[in-house]
Amino acid sequence: MGSPEQSLITEEHRAAIGRTAGPVELHVRAEDVRRVRTILGDDDPRFGEETGIAPPYILAVIEPAMPWQLLPRILPSGILTQTEWTFKRPLRIGERIFATHRLADIRDRLGGQYGYSVIMNVMTEYRDEAGELVATSLRTSMQFDPAQRRERARE
Amino acid sequence: MSTLPAKHFEDVSVGEELEPIERLPTEDLAVDFFGRDNPTNPAFRDAEIGRRQGFGGALVPGLLKLAWITQYVSRWAGAHGRVRMVRAAYRRPDVAGRPLTIVGRVVDKRLEDGIGVIDLEVATLANGQPSVHATVQVEIPPREQSG
Repeated sequence: MGSPEQSLITEEHRAAIGRTAGPVELHVRAEDVRRVRTILGDDDPRFGEETGIAPPYILAVIEPAMPWQLLPRILPSGILTQTEWTFKRPLRIGERIFATHRLADIRDRLGGQYGYSVIMNVMTEYRDEAGELVATSLRTSMQFDPAQRRERARE
Repeated sequence: MSTLPAKHFEDVSVGEELEPIERLPTEDLAVDFFGRDNPTNPAFRDAEIGRRQGFGGALVPGLLKLAWITQYVSRWAGAHGRVRMVRAAYRRPDVAGRPLTIVGRVVDKRLEDGIGVIDLEVATLANGQPSVHATVQVEIPPREQSG
């Protein structure tokens, strides 16, 4: 398939913007913190198990997969292109967190190393059992056609 | 147990460069990072799938690189520092087995309601070329507040 000459984003796709999914219950598990600290070689004493504080990057592991049910499938392959995390307070080992996702935007792009691509933003809010906001994650994913990607890579 | 030196807002200079570190991403590391039971993109553990998707081999997960960047800055910020925000743009795909160098630089510092706020630019370099560009914001208290 060559590059489309006009946007593949339809009104139906645009109508998905603002849709939400969740909450999804997550658990900041001590074994995940232990495993990931070991893999990263992190001996920072602030995140030792006895402190009860999880390192901020634990979000990478407990973060639920992209809520695909919210994202219209327009092109065959997808890749994460940007992530933004904000932390209101440290995550605590053992606590339960509730994630709610919202499809924030859909747009497209012509050119570049992937050819025509469709870009989607998903905002996820993480709240504790009291409903207080703990962290947010804004993920940008890009859908692309691998055939175009290979073509561009050869150029 | 190791100790982490304290850093104060006054110790930080705009333009200061962080000590670079090197990391070697592998397929096994990617799988272990997320947990063996956790389903992930098969291109993270299978070079052939990565190639079929138009990359040169098994892909390095963006979240693994983000975790390295967050750890890098969190450690630099010292015992009283706290990461407030990390924004990473994955500019080029990285392929497992190729070492990454993580570099960083302080681009701004200011006091916001008495809280020391530092902005940094951080990047991962593969063969000297940036693959991830990140902006990181940390809080580091002034000396008088951290005792």
